[in-house]
Amino acid sequence: MADAIASYRHKLYAIGVLGFVVILSLLYYFSAPVYIYIIAYMWFGFIYGILQQYGRFCFASAFRDLIMVKVPRMFVGIIIGLIMLSIVNSYIVAVYPDKYIIESIGFHGLLGGIIFGLGMVLAGGCATGSLYKTGEGNMISFTVLMALAFSQAIFTAIPRPYPGFDWFQAHFITGKTLNDIGLTKVLFGGVGNPNAKYSFIQHLLGDTLINAVLVGLLLLIGVYVLVVRKPFLKRRARQIAATAGATADGGTAKTGFKDELAGFWSMISASRRTSIAAILIGIVAGAQIFTLAWLQNRYNFTNFGQVLAGKPAIGQKLPNGNPVSPAAPASWPQTHAVPPQVSKNNTVFDPGYWYITTQEAMFGGWVLHHIGFSVTNNTYFGLNNGIPSPWLSPALLLSIGLILGASFKSLLAREFKWKFPHSKSGFAYAIGGGTLMGLGARIGLGCNIGAFYGPAAFGNPSAWVFFVGLFVGAALSAKYINYFANRKMASDDMDFDIKL
Amino acid sequence: MKFNKIENGEYELDVTGYVCPHPQLYTLKCMEKLEDGMVLDVLIDNPSSVESVTQACNGKGYEILEKTNPKSGVTALKIQK
Repeated sequence: MADAIASYRHKLYAIGVLGFVVILSLLYYFSAPVYIYIIAYMWFGFIYGILQQYGRFCFASAFRDLIMVKVPRMFVGIIIGLIMLSIVNSYIVAVYPDKYIIESIGFHGLLGGIIFGLGMVLAGGCATGSLYKTGEGNMISFTVLMALAFSQAIFTAIPRPYPGFDWFQAHFITGKTLNDIGLTKVLFGGVGNPNAKYSFIQHLLGDTLINAVLVGLLLLIGVYVLVVRKPFLKRRARQIAATAGATADGGTAKTGFKDELAGFWSMISASRRTSIAAILIGIVAGAQIFTLAWLQNRYNFTNFGQVLAGKPAIGQKLPNGNPVSPAAPASWPQTHAVPPQVSKNNTVFDPGYWYITTQEAMFGGWVLHHIGFSVTNNTYFGLNNGIPSPWLSPALLLSIGLILGASFKSLLAREFKWKFPHSKSGFAYAIGGGTLMGLGARIGLGCNIGAFYGPAAFGNPSAWVFFVGLFVGAALSAKYINYFANRKMASDDMDFDIKL
Repeated sequence: MKFNKIENGEYELDVTGYVCPHPQLYTLKCMEKLEDGMVLDVLIDNPSSVESVTQACNGKGYEILEKTNPKSGVTALKIQK
């Protein structure tokens, strides 16, 4: 009886969360129809939240669980999702060539990846993983998010320690923004021509086949050989021997290529929920790019900052190639934002695709600005992203939607539970991990989504540089945590009470 | 987190309140301490850890005898080595 009441109560809370998002959407829409753009961000976030919570989708676990407990489910999930996203992206950029994302390649990716990887394993979740876990009521993850927000904002806003730093950063850390590294360009010509256009099939062959499918498959084979193969074949041989009756060599039998394939498939299909979530996330992430580009065409802007400032980007082209109309449509809000709410270029952070860390930095910057710190004397806040109010920051609404989506799903599944840091060291892990992720994201110019997932799907080799960094950093943190666990468990005592 | 013997051959581990990677890490380390045939009852309140423990048990050949939801947000697993 008590159980039925609890279950009913959770469903009621879930409906409450859904109702809140619906009402919020209506309020936005009726204050200005163009806000449907940020409503779309929020609803895509809501769907990511549901899917991530369902699939326990977190990049930290992809590396950490593989190394620490030999569980490849999330690593597999990432590659499956990447392939799906890349297929959808190849179609999108054939329709909207300006949406082709090309990230700079250089040492910054490796360094940022390592620092981010160190942080995400200590924090117990990557940036997007911490968002969905916050939605599950996990305030340790919320602490991680706050550390991520403020470490990025402070790292960006503090004056550089010495004049040569920017020069050093430009030459040795940030790398070169090469407009021609997309694999489709290398394969089909057009290197050096930023306006080169390609068909869906060409993007599919260049970006998807090589950068996502081929690299992804090689990684999966590597994980199979190193982690899954030996225990699987051992079990398989025992099963074969058992069905054939006991054999002279103590119950083992030979396995062949067919068994290897079965082993590989068992790895892919081990966690149904992770793989299903991965496929859907890939498709939804593609649909998000398409929807937002379509809304930009419809409402006459290329960046949401223009809407907030009430100034169309005259001379620029919409995603569909048509010129921006000089008149601000009536659907735009009537009150206008000025710098620093928008940047000096009338822009805010509006990536147009699944992005996670920069919007948290925007929130951190907004708080610091309002308590009196000067944060706009840099390219990041001053020239590119501005400091919009959090409720008008498009990507931040994606993050909020993601948290609410995860709450909705976890309440329905009765998995929601308030959780607070259990000790000083638990709190330190969250703050330290979140801070490292923030630093890594700023140095690597993105998180596991912005510097890896998106660019990898778009055929950018830079993504794999960040990926290698992530792996190295995650492995180091995993070794560190494992070492302490072993020390705590070293005694033969079968009774213990450990506080971390 | 508490690891106790509850009866002969059966132990319990409470990792509620902890987040990734600690629940899955300590569950598997405790399983290593047990002898074949022994049973571990684990309480976890971190959904992603439940998924990882389930997968790791499949990989290692441990059997999950029972999976229940004693209260909202908490999963109880009965694992046999």
